Amino acid sequence: MTFRNRALSPAELDRFGEELDALRKRTVATLGQRDADYIRSIVAWVRWTEVAGRGLLYLGAFSALFAPVLLWPACVLGAVVLGLSKILENMELGHNVIHGQYDWMRDPHLDGKTYEWDIVGTAENWRHTHNFRHHTYTNVRGLDDDIGYGLLRIFPEQRWRAYYLMQPLIAVVFALLFEWGVAIQNLKLGRWVAGKVSNRQMWRMFKPVGRKMARQIVKDYIVFPALAGPFFLPVLLGNVVANIIRNLWTYTIIFCGHFTADAETFPKECVRNESRGHWYLRQLRGSSNISGGWLIDVLSGNLSHQVEHHFYPDVPANRYAAMAVEVREICKRYGQHYNTGSLPRQFGQVVWRIVRHAFPSRPRRVAPLVAASEAA
Amino acid sequence: MSAVLPSSKLSPQRPRCLRRLIHACVAPSVFDFWAQRLDRTWTWDRPLARIVERRPESRDAVTLVLRPNRHWRGYSAGQHLNVSAEIDGASVTRSYSLSAAPRADGLLAITVKRVDGGKLSTYLHDSACVGDVLHIGQSFGEMTWPKHHDAGWLLLAAGSGITPLMALVREHASRGMPAPLTLLYWARTRDELCFADELLALADAHPDFAVHCLLTRETDIAPAGRLDATQLAQLVPDAAQRRVYACGPSGFVDTARELLRSNARSFHAEAFTPPARSFEDSGEAVVTLQRSGRTLTVPRGQSLLKALEAQGLKPASGCRMGICNTCACGKSAGATRDLTNGEVRTEPSSALRLCISAAVGDIELDL
Repeated sequence: MTFRNRALSPAELDRFGEELDALRKRTVATLGQRDADYIRSIVAWVRWTEVAGRGLLYLGAFSALFAPVLLWPACVLGAVVLGLSKILENMELGHNVIHGQYDWMRDPHLDGKTYEWDIVGTAENWRHTHNFRHHTYTNVRGLDDDIGYGLLRIFPEQRWRAYYLMQPLIAVVFALLFEWGVAIQNLKLGRWVAGKVSNRQMWRMFKPVGRKMARQIVKDYIVFPALAGPFFLPVLLGNVVANIIRNLWTYTIIFCGHFTADAETFPKECVRNESRGHWYLRQLRGSSNISGGWLIDVLSGNLSHQVEHHFYPDVPANRYAAMAVEVREICKRYGQHYNTGSLPRQFGQVVWRIVRHAFPSRPRRVAPLVAASEAA
Repeated sequence: MSAVLPSSKLSPQRPRCLRRLIHACVAPSVFDFWAQRLDRTWTWDRPLARIVERRPESRDAVTLVLRPNRHWRGYSAGQHLNVSAEIDGASVTRSYSLSAAPRADGLLAITVKRVDGGKLSTYLHDSACVGDVLHIGQSFGEMTWPKHHDAGWLLLAAGSGITPLMALVREHASRGMPAPLTLLYWARTRDELCFADELLALADAHPDFAVHCLLTRETDIAPAGRLDATQLAQLVPDAAQRRVYACGPSGFVDTARELLRSNARSFHAEAFTPPARSFEDSGEAVVTLQRSGRTLTVPRGQSLLKALEAQGLKPASGCRMGICNTCACGKSAGATRDLTNGEVRTEPSSALRLCISAAVGDIELDL
């Protein structure tokens, strides 16, 4: 049986890691004004599109007074623009800033430790579940909660239960409410239901989450609609739709990052005394890119370069496209499959996984990461 | 006396409830973005200042007059502030002394001496223009005039150490020299002296004020020596009855302290350290933890996270390999080496990743 990936010897693995480290070093050495200008231009896009989106919603709402024909076009356009603004804020701005990618600028508004984003989940919980657990233990079963988010069976290695037969439906609901799922991910409600966490502990963990949820609800669903007075309904619905557009898009992009056909998961033993090269290799095998160019890059927060993002989570994302050229070449030389494809192709594979593994399935044999030593 | 202008004069009280309401819907970063479309110094809560005047002070020093926004809370003569400017995308911060006494119009003045290889001083000296906006911090420093004078004063300045002392002299003069004052001012050459004309004019006008400028490297006159006991006895015979403030490089301040700590009525000094040129990866470094008020000794060259854990501390940490940012904490001073690429970082940082950084000198952390 031939595999798409060549098993590397420990020495090759070290060299693989060194080459990727060197690429990182070369890139970090040239960070400067143009990266600062880039992220500030994204900030400006987020702000202006938010105002444009909300402005259009008000235009649509108040059009009842002067030109009722504008109601639908203005509101639909407003919701889409506001949704795009939220997508840009959550992905290219928030996600990347919270990784600390722009900490070197020492701008307090772009500080990874204090940035708070326009989504119901707190940045604080995200720093733990995503920056630490997901990025350190990418696709390691039992350590990376992002594998199916405790809700879906994406990989045959996850134990099948009858409940998963419903997962095609659950996946759709989860996509619509994705931001709420992310918000409660770190609470691990399952442990509370099972009685492993006391009510008081749960309340303590929930308080900051609840505060953030309340803030978002007050902002999007009370204050901004209220500003339209009697015409609040179109504004309220516009905000709901914008948030749903954002949820569906982020869900699509994030699921394409690690759940495509060729993405692998790993057993816990894998990370014990893991070398740098091994860590890189695991990130490569567990991640998948989306091809499509500039627009997809910006709208996905450069998660279209999921592989590069997992190699270099703290390097400014606007550099991934340039780094990808070299990463691809390095992977090729080491005989490693570089997982990339168009959005429909990658998402199609994700959907297939969700449907296929709703039913019992057995793991395929995959190439080992490290070549067995000759003595063994 | 107190030179701190009442804060209400500078930052008129905004209605609290309105502020809270806006804050509920508009994050400070969003507020700042839109406010700065109207005026680049308007912010939600961060002090900023616009350069309104620049004038050369000596061959390599320039005075910048700044108009702070409403979030600046005022200062006393003799205090310092942090100034930041964005250079090649990154904000660079240094402390400067306020060289003028507090003014009724609320303007501030800093005098910046160009330091070879100094990022911010070179930028402020060569590139900063009238109209540019700088980030500033609140004032700090204990070298201020007391409410009442019970003795004469002796001020010792070396190099850029003149700036806070100049503010003290100016304020003292504006109050009619309420106590005798002597200023000894060391510089290398005549054209490095700042404020020379003003100081001489003040000395002429006030019999209670004496100033001695000491040039250590001027060629056409006999060079004055560095600070020592004989020189001091000769210039200020009544030093023992005076209260002393000294400001200059740390070597100068150490000498002054040794000479005067027990031979003057009181002694207080503030030193600035020139940037270290070489860094040691072996031996030990002192880590000052500012929030917990602890001081520890850790091995240089070792990951700070491991070193702190070895001392029984449990700083927040995650991946232990420099990717998740969980252990990142503020570093206000000192040099560290990034263990992933070997580079030494001397800039203060808001996010020093402890797991991949090692001390290569004494450092201060926000822990």
